[in-house]
Amino acid sequence: MLGAGEEGAAAGRTRGLFSAYEPLPGCRDEMAAEPGALHAHWEYLAGAIGALGDAELERRNHELRRLLRENGVTYNFYEENDTVERPWSLDPIPVLLTSADWSDIEQGLAQRAELLDLVLRDLYGPRKLLKRGLLPPELVFGHPGFLRPCVGTARADGRWLTVCAADLARGPDGRLWVIGDRIQAPSGAGYALEARTALSRTLPSLYRDSHVHRLALFFRTLRGTLAGLAPGGREDPRIVLLTPGPGSETFFEHAYLASYLGYPLVQGSDLTVRDERVWLKTLDGLTPVDVILRRVDDPWCDPLELRPDSLLGVAALLQAVRRGHVAVANPLGASILENPGLMPFLPGISRALLDEELKQPSAQTWWCGDEKSRGYVLDKLDELVVKPVFPHRVDSTIFAAALASSERTDLKARIRAHPERYVAQERIALSTTPVLRAGRLEPRPFVLRGFAVASESGYYVMPGGLGRVSSSSSSFVTSNQLGGVGKDVWVLASEPERQVTLLPPVERPVVVRRGGDEVPGRVADDLFWLGRYSERAESITRLLREILLRLLATERSNLDGTVPLLLRALTLQTSAYPGFTGEDAEARLASPEAELLQLILDPRRVGGLRFNIDALARAGRAVRDRLSSDTSRVIGAIDGELARPCDLAAARESLQRLIQLLAAFVGLTTESMSRGQGWRFLQLGRSLERGLQTIALLRGVVLPAGPLVVPACEALLGILHSVKTYRRRYRSRIQMGAVLDLVLLDESNPRSLAFQLVGVEQHVIALVHDEDSGQRSRAERLALEALTTLRLFDVASVADADDEDAAHELERLLKRVAATLTALADEIATRYFQPADRPQQMVRFS
Amino acid sequence: MSAKGPTRFRVIHRTRYAYALPVELCHNEAHLRPRTTPLQRCLASRLTIDPSPAVVHDRADYFGNPVSYFVAQLPERELTVVATSEVEVAALDLEDGQVPASPPWEEVRDLLGPGARNVPLEAREMTLGSPMVPTSAALAEFARPSFTPGRPLLDAVADLSRRIHRDFTYDQEFSTIATPIAEVLERRRGVCQDFAHIAIGCVRSLGLPARYVSGYIETVRAPGQPRLVGADASHAWFATWAPTTGWFDFDPTNDQIPPRQHITTAWGRDYSDVTPLKGVLFGGGEHTLEVAVDVARLEPAA
Repeated sequence: MLGAGEEGAAAGRTRGLFSAYEPLPGCRDEMAAEPGALHAHWEYLAGAIGALGDAELERRNHELRRLLRENGVTYNFYEENDTVERPWSLDPIPVLLTSADWSDIEQGLAQRAELLDLVLRDLYGPRKLLKRGLLPPELVFGHPGFLRPCVGTARADGRWLTVCAADLARGPDGRLWVIGDRIQAPSGAGYALEARTALSRTLPSLYRDSHVHRLALFFRTLRGTLAGLAPGGREDPRIVLLTPGPGSETFFEHAYLASYLGYPLVQGSDLTVRDERVWLKTLDGLTPVDVILRRVDDPWCDPLELRPDSLLGVAALLQAVRRGHVAVANPLGASILENPGLMPFLPGISRALLDEELKQPSAQTWWCGDEKSRGYVLDKLDELVVKPVFPHRVDSTIFAAALASSERTDLKARIRAHPERYVAQERIALSTTPVLRAGRLEPRPFVLRGFAVASESGYYVMPGGLGRVSSSSSSFVTSNQLGGVGKDVWVLASEPERQVTLLPPVERPVVVRRGGDEVPGRVADDLFWLGRYSERAESITRLLREILLRLLATERSNLDGTVPLLLRALTLQTSAYPGFTGEDAEARLASPEAELLQLILDPRRVGGLRFNIDALARAGRAVRDRLSSDTSRVIGAIDGELARPCDLAAARESLQRLIQLLAAFVGLTTESMSRGQGWRFLQLGRSLERGLQTIALLRGVVLPAGPLVVPACEALLGILHSVKTYRRRYRSRIQMGAVLDLVLLDESNPRSLAFQLVGVEQHVIALVHDEDSGQRSRAERLALEALTTLRLFDVASVADADDEDAAHELERLLKRVAATLTALADEIATRYFQPADRPQQMVRFS
Repeated sequence: MSAKGPTRFRVIHRTRYAYALPVELCHNEAHLRPRTTPLQRCLASRLTIDPSPAVVHDRADYFGNPVSYFVAQLPERELTVVATSEVEVAALDLEDGQVPASPPWEEVRDLLGPGARNVPLEAREMTLGSPMVPTSAALAEFARPSFTPGRPLLDAVADLSRRIHRDFTYDQEFSTIATPIAEVLERRRGVCQDFAHIAIGCVRSLGLPARYVSGYIETVRAPGQPRLVGADASHAWFATWAPTTGWFDFDPTNDQIPPRQHITTAWGRDYSDVTPLKGVLFGGGEHTLEVAVDVARLEPAA
């Protein structure tokens, strides 16, 4: 980054927008004690950022957004039963905490994690807390997170709960309060890491000079602890990260953490239980799995013993856990702790189990199942936040004061009918922190998600965590979801950063090995289609560029008459019928702009460019842990093109960039992916699809050309990037025979059909095959058939395109090769991708 | 309460699945081996699985019921599971229609309510709704006429059980395991486990404990007696808890107080806790199921 040193140089000279910052009256602010008066630990940051000047800060903010977008940092929302992917946004101003402030939080969270671990062990073991009356049984027995099949599965030694998260809010008195526990598969740690990475790149000198505690040790501890969970203390255990898939809210994070931690990212269907052990299904066979870091919620993890309708889990996983053959982190059943009803009882439990006072208090919470508490809650309802004890996706938090009087009466009736299902919490007026909005700093309510990870010596707390600010300035509302605006949280070291090496190095040395490329069938499927979509997008882009070149160059517009020809070819290539064919085609051919824009921009237009880009981006996300970060970034940039309405001229610019980005994608996958089976499937998808696209183009452009043969051939060479090769070779006028030889049969031309078919055959031969079969597989036979059919074709027989017989001959060839390639694609899917491998429930009886 | 001399039964429960396609892998969980209870001893029980499974593992579940996990691979497209058990069941020394003394139902409700001490946790657990039996105002309303003020708990529950027997039609065509009990209540039709669920829902909706009991009922009766409903398959009924008796069973399907010809396999909150045989399979395609249960009375123990 340019001028990285500037930020610090002018520190203190001007605080620019910081002097204009006005905290909300009556609210505690993280930065300013009162307007213009900053807490001491913010002074340096204010000086440094102020000194950048407004324009430079805006530039850095823009840079930050670009980094996040290119890294594909997203958060998925559910809207009308559909998943919508949104970019995740991060505010450029971090939240600063002093070491002294942090040390209280650190101790509090570590103790809370220790306590919750004991509670979890007790509930799935002796249940003394219930027998001794320290916890009302209704809170446990009535909670859907209490999974009876998990009773008795607790680890005998060490900590059972691996990661623990809590949402913290600072009240007006300056203390931080826990407002919620996130236990079963806590999200956010990966976003915190990405926030830190992106922000430290955007504000490098400020970050360097601020002496911020690093996050890396948290993740190293996590890796060490997970490795330590392996059954029988196995060396070099196989650890996987289990995700519900690309549709889940925090899928970005799953893929990001899988790459960062070096674990394969798997879905339930990639795993199987045999002999009461968990195995990863790879193209090479079954590989044992020792530890599962799961991001699938409790009830969905095992369709045999938990939710029978789950397709996200692994049948009989719990049996493998019970037999001690696999460890799952966090343990199955942990969602019982995500129960706000526990909060009022934690102080008592802490005294009983730890003989300590609870250091990190929860917000004052009343469980309505208790008669006295219920009376209080019903009386003071307007001052409280009501939360259901049982998990609810919708409407999880009710601000009674905001309700109409009839709604309030309803709520009271619901509480009276099932008091044990509700808690009420005091409303904490959240502290605010500044966010950058339209060049100004505005106060926004702030919540911190803190993380603790088990280690041999206790729970280690991530220094910082993920900050979230709400989108409105009302000081009570923050979103329960992780969406909204993120904040990096900097814990400032009062002394220089501790030496990381002083802390327990838990990991064993790496065992050197080659390969490590175990590819599940689902991943092969996604990579194959990633290859196919990238080629589809490229072919369509090239054809569109050729069309727009002619359409927008007014002086030679339509001179050679090829535009209608190319438009019809576009319809053929995208299969977006009727398009420029069919009955009303004349009108659309005469003014093609609207149809073209739709094909370019509309994601719902099946076969169109934006549709293919979406499919490409989706496949890319599903396997992003297998791609280099540069490749993912290029996919992110491809996905960013043509995302907004524009006119044809702007679209042409975009097409130009897309061609470069798609070339970068191909280059990166060629340069930075190891030559394992995954790479094979990606390349096979590309070669096969490029073959099919070339065939479609020839059928669209050459076959109907008639009198337009020369301009059509010129356009074809342009699209296939072969103009220069042709000129170098023939230096003469366009001749059909020569053109066909170059684009059909020339195995040295990387754009020819023959080149693709040679590639297809090579990749198919290199795929994993069943053992001890001396014969060619069906896929190999199909690949050989396609290539041989083409090689035996006599170009001279069709050199004269005006000849109808010749045209038929060519048509027959192209159709036959296309059909063989399609059969090959089906064969690959059947043999390798296991599409039918879905679990079903056995019919039951009474 | 005193018990009469015990009766011995042999139960053979045969389940056969036939599949359209080979089954690559099938994980199963079976609640088919009878448990031991205060009134019942399981003398022997054996699970025979054909084809022979790759893995069989027995354990006790959360409620103390015997449960078996097994894995089948079925190239032959067929799975047969035969559970053969011998049990000895003591009968209660009760006149027809009589129940032991018990405290007023309100007293039991308050005893188990918030802040309860020195009562079994299981009794408190069973006052709460469960996956297949959510409590509701409609169920409480149906229950209400049986629970008149001050009525002893077991009298009230016996009356409820009798009313379910009287008001509901046994109809194998009406319900499946997926039919919600609200619908069963509204239409007043169903099979034994629906009636057990209805009774459980009614009792729990008043803040009282009820649990689901899964088992069998003797197939053949002495001449001149009607054949009992629910034979030839597994059977289901329910139990409530009173401080004087502990858990006490009622069979609303036959308007009886078990055990008369009842053999208990397992108990839980509802059917979903103690499904006799369930499984998740890969492959197989469409499949059909046949179940046959034979309960035979053996010569009295010497």
